[in-house]
Amino acid sequence: MSLASSGSSLPRRTGLFDMLRPGARAAFMTLAVSAVLLLFLAPIIILVVTSLRPGWGVYYIYRGTEFTLANYVEVFQRGVVIEAFFNSFLVATAATVLSLGVTVTSGYMLSRFKGWLPKTWFTSIYVFRTVPYISWVLPLYVVNESLGLYDTFFGILAAHVAVHVCFFSWIMKGFFDGIDPSMEYAAMIDGCTRWGAFRRVALPAAGPAIAALGILSWLWTWNEFLFALILTGNRTPLLTVTMAQFVTELGTEWNLMSAMAVMAMIPAVIITLFAQKYVIQGLRI
Amino acid sequence: MIGERLSFQIGLILPSVLVLLLFQVVPIFIGTDASFRRWSLYDPDKTWVGLEHYRYVLSDTNFLFTVLPNTFLLIVASVGLSLALGMAVALLLHRGIAAQRLVQTVVLLPLMIGPVIASTMMRWTFNDQFGVVNAFLGWLGLGQPAWLADRWYAFGVIVFTDVWIWTPWFALLLLAGLKSLPKEPFEAAALDAAGRWRIFTHITVPMLRPVIGVCVVIRAIDCFRTFDQVWLLTGGGPARSTEVFSIYVFMEAFQNLNFARGSAAAVIGTLIIMVAGLALYALINRFMDVSR
Amino acid sequence: MAEVVLRDVCKRYGSYNAVDNVNLTIRDKEFLVLVGPSGCGKSTTLRMIAGLEDISDGTIAIGDQTVNDLPPRDRDIAMVFQNYALYQHMTVYDNLAFGLRNRKVSEDIIKTEIDRAVDILGLRDLLKRKPRELSGGQQQRVALGRCIVRNAKVFLFDEPLSNLDAKLRAHMRLELKRLHRRVETTAVYVTHDQVEAMTLGDRVVVMNNSRIEQVGTPWEIYSRPSTRFVASFIGSPAMNFLDGKVKRNGSGYHIHAPGGAFHVSNESARGLVGQDGRDVIVGLRPEHIRLHDSKTDNALHGRVELTEQLGAEQLVEVIAEGARIMVSRVEAERELKPGTPVYLTVEPGQLRYFDQATEQALA
Repeated sequence: MSLASSGSSLPRRTGLFDMLRPGARAAFMTLAVSAVLLLFLAPIIILVVTSLRPGWGVYYIYRGTEFTLANYVEVFQRGVVIEAFFNSFLVATAATVLSLGVTVTSGYMLSRFKGWLPKTWFTSIYVFRTVPYISWVLPLYVVNESLGLYDTFFGILAAHVAVHVCFFSWIMKGFFDGIDPSMEYAAMIDGCTRWGAFRRVALPAAGPAIAALGILSWLWTWNEFLFALILTGNRTPLLTVTMAQFVTELGTEWNLMSAMAVMAMIPAVIITLFAQKYVIQGLRI
Repeated sequence: MIGERLSFQIGLILPSVLVLLLFQVVPIFIGTDASFRRWSLYDPDKTWVGLEHYRYVLSDTNFLFTVLPNTFLLIVASVGLSLALGMAVALLLHRGIAAQRLVQTVVLLPLMIGPVIASTMMRWTFNDQFGVVNAFLGWLGLGQPAWLADRWYAFGVIVFTDVWIWTPWFALLLLAGLKSLPKEPFEAAALDAAGRWRIFTHITVPMLRPVIGVCVVIRAIDCFRTFDQVWLLTGGGPARSTEVFSIYVFMEAFQNLNFARGSAAAVIGTLIIMVAGLALYALINRFMDVSR
Repeated sequence: MAEVVLRDVCKRYGSYNAVDNVNLTIRDKEFLVLVGPSGCGKSTTLRMIAGLEDISDGTIAIGDQTVNDLPPRDRDIAMVFQNYALYQHMTVYDNLAFGLRNRKVSEDIIKTEIDRAVDILGLRDLLKRKPRELSGGQQQRVALGRCIVRNAKVFLFDEPLSNLDAKLRAHMRLELKRLHRRVETTAVYVTHDQVEAMTLGDRVVVMNNSRIEQVGTPWEIYSRPSTRFVASFIGSPAMNFLDGKVKRNGSGYHIHAPGGAFHVSNESARGLVGQDGRDVIVGLRPEHIRLHDSKTDNALHGRVELTEQLGAEQLVEVIAEGARIMVSRVEAERELKPGTPVYLTVEPGQLRYFDQATEQALA
């Protein structure tokens, strides 16, 4: 009794927000949400609107009412654009499959074993993850050129798999840390080899998480710019670099560039809309 | 003899080790070697010149007084702002708001569409003649700066774009952190008559410290190598005034066609971020220990 | 159906001995329980038998075969894990069949085996479900079923009941006991719960600090603990230990303890021979102590400190010259206010004595 009364007589620290009436509070929340939506959506909307305006109309996109799909048609009449889309799709898909395949066992090893070898390997990937990309892609350009791999599918693919080795090993370790190893012990007692226990029990259990990482990996490769800029040229045009060239060569043709950017954005939008749960799961660190 | 357990471990990491060695470690060695040589068509022997390139880079006022300050300023501004904004968005989403799902989708988009498209749309949005930002400022009767033609305005656009891309990342990770916190301390604080701000500063933030620390370290180290946004927004200009580390290396190697000098700059940058990364890691570790 | 023999088995992690020189023979068809506090080496011992941990030193044999270098899959054992370790992506049926399929058993035989196990465990309706759709008790049964279908030489249990709530644990304990009577197989069972150890084990091995303290039937362990540790670990509430002094006295011995002295006749003075004039640790089980209101011979005098009403009985804490003594099995209806003077007596034959330095039982 005495406790209760003394408790209620304590002055409660009251913030500005609490002094507002409920109606004002709701208004504040609405305002905050609208601000967030505006900040993150406005540039995208501007891009989409620009892509739908005729070439002469982009300079007052906020006023005009003429809309057209001609920009998309025109963009696709350029051979390099279709080639770039195709190449980027191929590189993203192949890089994702290879990166996941190469790193899944590495992450498993880091998660399941103790001793000097895992410790050394973990330190290595930690160190190599901090190395700026340009510091190894620049000499890789020289290597590729001397091996005849410059501007080839394989040359760019190798860089994309290499860049994922450290990060994915680390992420995959986290996935396997979340899976109880006793399932694999049970499998080994049930007649599996170490490899069998990994392949038939641990791997299926980590499946959803790996798929989530795969989606992100695909998008990251699709969006990647620096490797493409340094390691590819005219023979293997990639999406991002082709798009950037619109800026320089056709600096004023914002309508076409926007159309291409919108097309390039489609996978990201689809994934965000339909695989959001997976994406958020894969982003965990 | 190698035991069964050890050979299994080696087998598991072998593909990763090979890829890392071939495409990352070997190039780094080649690049480091090249940074000590003269690397040009007129010198097929690639004469050993020792520290000449390092001396050049470390006495280049552009590198010392523009590139490095820009790089670290970008890290501080971008990480700081996206952390603060990301925390706000995370709190908003954690509170449970109307249109939760819509907001979460919209917030996720910048991260998904990547720096290239983001930079492209920002370049258009901040276009000095036809951009929406200037149109809006004009409508308000305010000045309409030539955003990308002035060093600090351009740098501001770069920071804005980076924050736009990375705020969602902070928001999502902090939201996951918020969701994993136990409820009891918040209930206890409410019984202790703590206000919202006090709960935030005395309970939420201390309990989130590990998450915040890890996010900041990762993001700061990654931010050091920023290339795409700067290249696509300003190309390092105007007059090389917004160059950051990666752009500088690229310019030396491909614009000035001096591969060796670019490599020397790359080595210097790598060493800087390794030391800075370690220091940051130690700092964050201590900062998190103190909270316990 | 096999004997398991551990000879001088050690497990070292660097300079730390997780298991130190364990010698143990697990008899054919015996249900043997390894019990001890966490970190005592019991789980490591079990995992070495399973082949999940390397053996640093010594040998382990299952049947006539030394298994040191055999991988788990070739040891013909089955194991139940603390968290069941069911394969999450397989149905119950596939979980049960997995081990047999790995051994290339034909699907017909697998079906017969699973039918048998399913009838024993009452899993008939769950065969098509995935593990996460099952309750804790059901998952536990599937884990047991996985052992049964295998017809392995040895069953290993690693704290299988500790994830269940108290009621279900008591129920599953009985089921396990029934199961072992039906499926007569050598079983090694690890637990930190002394009640499980006492109720399930044909024999119990008490481990502490990486070593075996005592091996014996539950009754032997309870009534003749060989060390102070075993005496304190087995039995609930735990045994009381008092500092005592032994005095030879004509027809027997006097044991001076806080609050008084006990007279022990020669017949019940096992362990006291040769201890005249020495200090010993006297062990009294709370359930062996009787409380008297009035002065009695051969009793310790003290005052009631606290009582805990359990309904069927009372636990009473008595302070005698500064020493705390727990007394159990006090009639629930008896009124004992804090501060009430009481007199404690024990059948002399039920007293245990331990050396003050070595803490070994005196016998």
